[in-house]
Amino acid sequence: MIGVGKAKQYANVLDKPLSRGRQEVSLSAFAFLFSEMVQYNQTQVDNIAELERRLEDAGYAVGARVLELLCHREKGNKREIRLLHILGFIHSTVWKVLFGKGADSLEKGTEHEDEYMISEKELLVNRFISIPKDMGAFNCGAFVAGIVRGVLENAGFPAVVTAHFVPIEGQQRPRTTILIKFAEEVPDAYMFFSPVVH
Amino acid sequence: MASAAIYSLFIINKSGGLIYYKDYGSAGRTDTNDSLRLASLWHSMHAISQQLSPTPGCAGIDLLQADNFDLHCFQSLTGTKFFAVCETGAQNIEVLLKVIYELYTDFVLKNPFYEMEMPIRCELFDLNLAQVIQKDRVALLGR
Amino acid sequence: MPPPAAPKSGDALFASVERVNAELFTLTYGAIVRQLLTDLEEVEEVNKQLDQMGYNIGTRLVDEFLAKSNVSRCADFKETADVIAKLGFKMFLGVTATVTNWDAEGTSCSFVLEDNPLVDFVELPDTCQGLQYCNVLSGVIRGALEMVSMKTEVTWVRDMLRGDDAYEMRVKLTKQVPEEYPYKDDD
Repeated sequence: MIGVGKAKQYANVLDKPLSRGRQEVSLSAFAFLFSEMVQYNQTQVDNIAELERRLEDAGYAVGARVLELLCHREKGNKREIRLLHILGFIHSTVWKVLFGKGADSLEKGTEHEDEYMISEKELLVNRFISIPKDMGAFNCGAFVAGIVRGVLENAGFPAVVTAHFVPIEGQQRPRTTILIKFAEEVPDAYMFFSPVVH
Repeated sequence: MASAAIYSLFIINKSGGLIYYKDYGSAGRTDTNDSLRLASLWHSMHAISQQLSPTPGCAGIDLLQADNFDLHCFQSLTGTKFFAVCETGAQNIEVLLKVIYELYTDFVLKNPFYEMEMPIRCELFDLNLAQVIQKDRVALLGR
Repeated sequence: MPPPAAPKSGDALFASVERVNAELFTLTYGAIVRQLLTDLEEVEEVNKQLDQMGYNIGTRLVDEFLAKSNVSRCADFKETADVIAKLGFKMFLGVTATVTNWDAEGTSCSFVLEDNPLVDFVELPDTCQGLQYCNVLSGVIRGALEMVSMKTEVTWVRDMLRGDDAYEMRVKLTKQVPEEYPYKDDD
């Protein structure tokens, strides 16, 4: 396995608890890498749905590893078990580590009990990206949706996660909403509803 | 920041192909064919100027002054040219062109849907460029 | 006309650009390598694709480097190598490289990296022993230099993932296209 996958590696990470934030790279380095990843994946697909799925899969791998890393680092190896806690953990901790700030908002879907939305005025991965008109509603945020799915699924909450552009009144650019729809098998006991973090 | 009236902006790739053109009020003097031809001619003239230069290492024309306009040109070391047609005596246009070059590296080159050397169709580049030019206009009015 | 802005130091340059947590970068790169291993299966093919992706990035990234670092045209390959090591690596990855092992002609040298943000958390499994995990970096150098008329070959000679004591890539200048009127009648 490549990536964070071995107990030995965790030991190393734990050995340097200050590693978080210690190292940075330029946003440009990430942006060029991300752009190249999107370009490569475009060569591997026939349609936009497949491109979305592949970016989501790539994100999933990142999400699964981020969860492992953060659980060891921040939580003393306790995984969040309750649904709202894991959502709050994604909205604040995961976002902060990956994107340098908490997400703009976390809301509960108004139409369905089991839907949640994380919204971001300007998703980091979309900072430099203009979607061509012929690609319709495609959103490279599919990668971030994959990250969210990777965190959730590995914490025991399988969900369908998708990224959408949502126009905002008075703004030229739409925001991106990551829509989380939990699978039915999530036990009801985990779903308790209290005010959601905004 | 620059403060001057800019009539039009061209970006041409390293082979002389026009990849971006924006008119800011040259009163419709140039249509698409004209702008393509102008870009290609300027590309050649710029190259000829390097040859004409009596000193070695000349990088080509930076500024062409005419009776009723100035043409400022910035060429990156990779061969992409950014040039602006401006009112005579416009100041700091080279700074403006450098800013536009930076916008190009952000909103064009980091866009996975932009194909190198091809015409630029990137909404974010247009938006950010418009802001920079707008600032430029505001600075002009406040002069 | 104002004098051109002076080139910045590596540290000043890195401090002036927007930065992200290296883990986002490292994990995203890991996800890419993982995708390639699944798609292409052969490690050799993955190595080639990583190099190609690096090359593509290099051809785009060089303009940002030139735009934001204020460096002017380098006099020769030696100066170019120094600029890449001290400013290029720093501006994008926040690390510096050492230039060493010049040949007598001044056309090939080594970049040695002690810190490499690509490889945090990475351990090569037995099934991937031939994998050149950092090939994207050598590709970037090759792509970026080609855009400023220097054709190079870049190869890894030391790799800590394979048990060496540092990361070292060898850069060999194979052809320098002169910066002159490039259009012949037969073009």
